[in-house]
This record gives sequence, C-alpha cells and structure tokens, in this order.
Amino acid sequence: MRNLIAFFQRFRVFLVFLVLQLVALGSFFSWMSYPRTKFFNTSSSITGNILSWKYEITKYLSLSQANEVLQAKIANMMEDLPESYMSIDGKTTLINDTLYEQVYRYIPATVINSSHQHKNNYFTIDAGRLKGIKPKMGVVSSVGVVGTVYDVSDHFSVVKSILTENIKLSAYVEGNEAFGILKYLENDPRRVSLTGVSNDIPIKRGALIKTRGSSGYFPKGLTIGKVDVVELIEGKPLWDIQVYLSQDMRKLHSVFVVDNILDEELTQLQGDIEELN
Amino acid sequence: MIGIYIHIIRFFLFVLAQGLIVGQLDFGFGIHPMIYPLFILLLPFDMSAIALMIIAFVTGVSVDFFMNTFGLHASAAVIAAYFRPELFKLFSPRDGYESFRQPSVVDLGYKWFISVSSLMVLIHHVWFFFLEYFRLSDVLYIFQKTFLSGALTLLIFVLIQIIFFKNQRMS
Repeated sequence: MRNLIAFFQRFRVFLVFLVLQLVALGSFFSWMSYPRTKFFNTSSSITGNILSWKYEITKYLSLSQANEVLQAKIANMMEDLPESYMSIDGKTTLINDTLYEQVYRYIPATVINSSHQHKNNYFTIDAGRLKGIKPKMGVVSSVGVVGTVYDVSDHFSVVKSILTENIKLSAYVEGNEAFGILKYLENDPRRVSLTGVSNDIPIKRGALIKTRGSSGYFPKGLTIGKVDVVELIEGKPLWDIQVYLSQDMRKLHSVFVVDNILDEELTQLQGDIEELN
Repeated sequence: MIGIYIHIIRFFLFVLAQGLIVGQLDFGFGIHPMIYPLFILLLPFDMSAIALMIIAFVTGVSVDFFMNTFGLHASAAVIAAYFRPELFKLFSPRDGYESFRQPSVVDLGYKWFISVSSLMVLIHHVWFFFLEYFRLSDVLYIFQKTFLSGALTLLIFVLIQIIFFKNQRMS
C-alpha cells in the first residue's frame, strides 16, 4: 500500500497529464460522445453568442458578395415561376401543380463561424432546435451542398462541412447515374473525392455531381460540384474522381437547412418493420 | 509582483484573440498559427506542473469551443504545459529564475525567450497536426504545416512581446 502511494506521488504529474490527455483525445477521436457534443464545440450558448457578435461586426465585409449570390439565386427561381412560361398549346396543356406534395422545407440560416484549413472542418450556424433543426439534416447553400448538421443547441447548430473525411455523402454523376461516396481527402478546400465508382463506367470531365438523396436528408439531384480530374487507382478497378465543389467553402455566408417533412413518417415506418421482424 | 488578475485577463485575451482573429485568418499553404501557448509560457515561474496542466487544459477547451476541434487544442495545450518545466530547467540561467518577474523577453532576453518558445511551439504544433491528420501518408503535409505555422506563431509571439511588454518596464 505504501509503495502504491509512493508510486502515485512520484508519478502524479504524469498521471494528471495522462488523465487530461485521455479526456481531450477521447473527445477528439470520438470515443466519448458526451464531452464531444456537450463541451468541445461552438453550439454552447456562450461561444455561440460571442461568435454572433463577431459576425455582427464582420458581416459588412462580405455583404455585397452575399447579395450578388442571393440575387443570382432569385433570378434563377424567377425563371421557374409560371409567369415566365408561356403556354405553347393553351387548349391541351395539363397544369398539374396540385398533384405534387411538398417533401422538403428549407430553413434559412447564417454561418457565424467556419473553418476550412483543418482535416475535418465544421461550421456554426445561427439556427438551432427552436427553429426545427435536428442532427443529420442536410445543409445547402444557394449553389451547392455544404454539409450535414452534427450537433444542435437551442439557438445554434454545428454543421459537419463537406470538407470532412467521413462526410460519406452519397452522390451520382449526372448522365450515367454512376454513384459513389464523397470524402474529403486532398487538403484542398475546393476539391473533394468521389470514391467507389467502378472504372468501367466512362466518366467525362466537367460532368455534374449531384446528391442521390438516398438517406432522405437531401433531395435528389442537388448540385454538389463537377468532375475535375479522373484518374485510375493503381491496383483497384475504381476511378479516383476529384470533384470541384460549386460552393467555395471559404466564402460561405448564408445556408439553408433541408428539413424532410416526411422524415418522421419514414423513420416510423422503418421502425415498424423492425418490430414486425 | 504580478497579481493573479493579469493572468486572468490574459487568459480571456488570448482565447478570444485565438478564437476570433488568429484562428479565423486564412494564410493558405495550410498555415494555422496558434498563439495561446504564449499564455501558458507566461504563467508564473513557481506554478506547479499539475496546476499548469489544468490551466492549459481549460485554455485548450476554451479554444476548442471556438474552433469546433473537439478537444484537439486541449490535448496540445496540456502537452505544452507538461514540457514547460523541463524546458525551463534546460535553459535555466546561472542563478535560476528567482530574480526574474515573469518569463518574458523583457526579463530574460531574446535568446532565452526564442529558444524556449520555439521548442514549446514545436512540441505543441507537431502534436497538434499529427493528431489532426493521424495518417502516415500525410507526413510531409504535417511537417509543412508544423514548420510554416510554427514560424508564424513564433513571429507573433515576438511581436506580442515587443508591442505589449516594453511598456511594463518603463512604468
């Protein structure tokens, strides 16, 4: 016993070091989810509020740019209004606008803090649980997909950016429907990799990469980026496809969180299936 | 004698400066300077290693709050604090540290400050970037990040010393 106490006294500095490292690294490598979601991120209200003050001060710097992007998006949407179409054959055209049911709702939010120079990047938005945001929801900007919600507090959310190694977004190449998983591997904030596409499928440079919408967190067919480089992976029958993101993640201001209205119904249905088994 | 208040004020200043300014700047080439190790370096000489590590941990966690790094800064700060007493012993002046007020350029000179802080920054940055990438194929990129960020961090350290620590001697 005395030896044990002597041992602890001798190595107490190192033991404290070990304990602190264990807590910090446990959270970082996500062995422990409690500190990861409770302490070490910006969804807490103190840092969230400080970051929104900072945003209030710095937002003027990017105002004109953000304006241009939004104006372009509005122009795009105005083209889709019925007023901008004229009927080619007034007598036989069928207008079936009531036959659709809305599935996705978009919650607007502003990015108040972001990073793009890390291996795994996250950003903070100023909308949280009270605005109906839940973990795993998709986040898009006006030009492309930017990430999925990771952690939510009452007023803020932390979003796992598309520049994250394990973002695991399912995407397909427009034109031939070849699909794969997106990963961030190249340390270049403008490019992500599309992995798992078999190399017998011809992929053209410049083809659009779109979301598959298989998990229900994104609608099908949202643009992510376009094919930039296609190379063979040595020793594997797969393409190494680099995707040039349509959203420059270094200049991200306003985003929309995708809320799947039918999500509850879907999860409930899938839960029922498990019970039946 | 420098009171405990100056360290508390410094704590907030360094964490906010790191979280809101230095950590948000985009230098390219993977450069990501981190200035809060200077706060750990500037803590009083007679502080015990355990107290150092706990304060460093709190500092790191506070930076993690801002950067969404989930404990990476906390881990790196703790290792910097763990090695601080060893570094101080290594570069100890002939008569020890008894006659000095605080571990700064004003008290101990540039040679001492740059030797100690460069080693501390090296330990801190290597640990930080190795944990962040944690992949053997990225070793070169890790070294690039470590040395470029480390050089910039040191430059900021010296600038902070020149700008903020000169006045204290005069007054």
